[in-house]
Amino acid sequence: MSATEAEQQVKLVSSDNVEIITERKVAERSMLIKNMIEDLGAPGEEPIPIMNVSEAVLRKVLEWCSHHKNDPAPTQDDDADSRKKTTDIEDWDQKFMQVDQEMLFEIILAANYMDIKALLDVGCKTVANMIKGKSPEEIRKTFNIQNDFTPEEEEQIRRENEWAEDR
Amino acid sequence: MSRSRRLQRAESVSSTSSSSTSPERDPDDDDNDSFMLQANDSASSLGVEMASDDSHDAAARQAYEERCRVSPVARLPAELLISIFARLSASSDLMSCMLVSKEWARNSVGLLWHRPAMNKWDCIQSVVRSIRKADKFFAYQDLVKRLNMSTLASQVSDGCLIGMVDCKRVERLTLTNCSKLTDISIQPLVEGNRSLLALDVTGLDQLTDRTMMTVADHCLRLQGLNVTGCKKLTDASIAQVAKSCRHVKRLKFNGCAQLTDTALMTVAAHSTHLLEIDLHALHNIESPAITALLTSCQHLREVRLAHCMRINDRAFLDIPSNPDNPTTLEALRILDLTDCSELGDKGVERIIETCPRLRNLILAKCRHITDRAVLAIAKLGKNLHYIHLGHCQRITDFSVEALAKSCNRIRYIDLACCSNLTDHSITKLAGLPKLKRIGLVKCAGITDLSIHALAMGEVRNGKRTNGPSGSVLERVHLSYCTLLTLDGIYVLLNNCPKLTHLSLTGVQAFLRDELLIFCREAPPEFNDHQRELFCVFSGSGVGRLREYLNQEKNHALNALASRGDNDSMTPSMAGEGEDVDVIDVYGGDAGDGIDGDGTGADSDGSNTPVIALDVHGDHRPGATPIMGGPPLMGAAGSSASGMLFPGSHYPPWPPLHHHHHHHDHHSSHVSQAFGGPSSSASAAHLSQSAPASTSGLHGHWGSLPPMFFNSPVAAHTGQGVVAAQHVTSMMGATMLDDVDEGDEAFGEGSEMMGD
Repeated sequence: MSATEAEQQVKLVSSDNVEIITERKVAERSMLIKNMIEDLGAPGEEPIPIMNVSEAVLRKVLEWCSHHKNDPAPTQDDDADSRKKTTDIEDWDQKFMQVDQEMLFEIILAANYMDIKALLDVGCKTVANMIKGKSPEEIRKTFNIQNDFTPEEEEQIRRENEWAEDR
Repeated sequence: MSRSRRLQRAESVSSTSSSSTSPERDPDDDDNDSFMLQANDSASSLGVEMASDDSHDAAARQAYEERCRVSPVARLPAELLISIFARLSASSDLMSCMLVSKEWARNSVGLLWHRPAMNKWDCIQSVVRSIRKADKFFAYQDLVKRLNMSTLASQVSDGCLIGMVDCKRVERLTLTNCSKLTDISIQPLVEGNRSLLALDVTGLDQLTDRTMMTVADHCLRLQGLNVTGCKKLTDASIAQVAKSCRHVKRLKFNGCAQLTDTALMTVAAHSTHLLEIDLHALHNIESPAITALLTSCQHLREVRLAHCMRINDRAFLDIPSNPDNPTTLEALRILDLTDCSELGDKGVERIIETCPRLRNLILAKCRHITDRAVLAIAKLGKNLHYIHLGHCQRITDFSVEALAKSCNRIRYIDLACCSNLTDHSITKLAGLPKLKRIGLVKCAGITDLSIHALAMGEVRNGKRTNGPSGSVLERVHLSYCTLLTLDGIYVLLNNCPKLTHLSLTGVQAFLRDELLIFCREAPPEFNDHQRELFCVFSGSGVGRLREYLNQEKNHALNALASRGDNDSMTPSMAGEGEDVDVIDVYGGDAGDGIDGDGTGADSDGSNTPVIALDVHGDHRPGATPIMGGPPLMGAAGSSASGMLFPGSHYPPWPPLHHHHHHHDHHSSHVSQAFGGPSSSASAAHLSQSAPASTSGLHGHWGSLPPMFFNSPVAAHTGQGVVAAQHVTSMMGATMLDDVDEGDEAFGEGSEMMGD
């Protein structure tokens, strides 16, 4: 992508029909958008519909893309790293993810839909960190999940997986 | 986002149940729907949503919306939930997830059982109990994708492994060194398994063709097979595996000396996807099998033929060659021909033609090869990263210099026992900008000159070419390089901050108690004599040796300082080149002893390449008296006096009894600095300032710490020579360096298999 292409403006349309104009370079952190631009040609003219993402979420996602627009492309090594299950998150991203749960999961869904791997990664790590070290009851509380096990079922699962408890 | 659309999406994902595309999880996913024995029960909450008729649809949507309002995490489809759970490394966390709710249990159980804990007996018992249970919550046996018993290895019995017999979806079965295991448990375990991708039965010497025939019949997806040391397997079952497992990519037959060309010919004919093969010590393999393998398996990346002693040049010369369309193994990166002692120059030349992109080439103990082979290897150019020519005793400086010139990306080179080599070629190798490891064991002709060159890298136009961060050298093997002295190693240590391994076994100058305390333990199998000679510094030992030598040097400098006149004290060692002399000349009488107190020495202890080699030009070798002078300093001095420098011919630190001339220091120093006539007095003063004067000239030794020179040289030299002879006669050809260096080198080589 040439410098002028990078600075080109593109027009996105959210699911609630709001137009958002942004730099092409920012928008193309999303592989969905990148592929669409490549398929459609003539970027900037046709608005690009982002069907599954509302304005509020889309703005938030673009904020992340804008901050990370100059990140190097992920390499094979990075893929291997993500497999190492690390849950370290850089400071800016940590702050970025300090939102209510509704927004947090919307961001994850949007990152998945818009195919922004690095953002999806940060989102999943954030949730994983919310789970780490907690008891089942604490997890249920954190995410407001209803326990649909009978006490017998719970006991059965505990027994059948007891080897996993102290690792 | 429209709610209904989102609902559809959630439903579609839920119903296909976590068909993630992520490669490391694929095993869990494709069977996520079939493993739940009680799927209807546990999926009941979704069942509502999946109702097809309209009123139900509306109700379901409402229920879903309500659920998401209360608990936003419910919006995540299974694949994203799994993606999150996959970040949890502790199985206790996954265990907690399983107990949260049925949905969470369904999406975490696959990750938890992907590779069950097999590292403790009570874990194994618990795992087996759950798998064998009649009415369990999940079909755990189908979730196990990786089964690794190698932690408990030799304690694992057939009775234990048979408990896992229902696990028919295992993809990676690792039984390394579980030497009690036999066909009794392994044959039924692999029978009916159509998922197996990798089987490692290293060291199971009771295993027979019965198991391997079952593998051939059932495990058609097999890609990797490691039967290292399985001495009972015969050509018949290996050939059968080759015939039916057509996707095989990696084969390790190490030490299966019973296998012959029959098995290998079948592998060559059928395993056309082969990427790696290791035939270590298959003594019966002959050249035609290797020819067949290299001819038909065009994708090979790694071929290891170490100790296949019957292989000769024909193995390579017989690869069909059509001048218009030559067979080349473009993918081959690693070729190990250790101890293929029949191999000669012609074979090597053909190898280089056929495999132009070799990265690692191991020709250790290919004793026939000469400079001609090495010149051919040089054609690999920048592709070559790793070259082992240990015990190729016929090669000389001529070809090694050519190698250094054309293969400038070499990271590892081993030239152990190449006794023809001299400083000429080693100083060329020292200029390799990426050189991390160099093995020069028993290159007895090399001197400190080589070590200085290694320390400095290539100096071109006064700048080091190995980058601003300095040397990348990590491991240096110098055992039995008997001419080496502390001088060279001192400079090496202070210029190679990344050094983690330095072996100097049998080098007399280092066999001294005060240095050996930093040396690591000799291997337990060494005898007393070997222990006496053992001298390897590794890890923190390198740092402590560096520290000690620098400290000793500081002491020496301090001693110098206290003996000298304050006015005439040495200028900053951190200073640069001639400027320092000037400072000394014009500012010296300020007497603030810029660092006669040793601060300068501190600054050079910090790994900056300050201890450079010389005092420009004023200390020509031989221009100053070689030795002499009373012991320099107290305790440190007398301990230092034990050091010896067999064969040292370098100009020493100058005699110190000239200090009484301090009154004419300035004038004499000036005259010396300006090229005036030399006098013993001026020589003395100048050399006190020597450490500061770091011009870039090479091959000069003026800045060596005084303590290294104050021993009666003749006596020690004599002793050193005796010791060196002793070493060679007692050790025989390769006994020690094989243990100390050679195997280690190969270990490193095999690490590289990974990339």
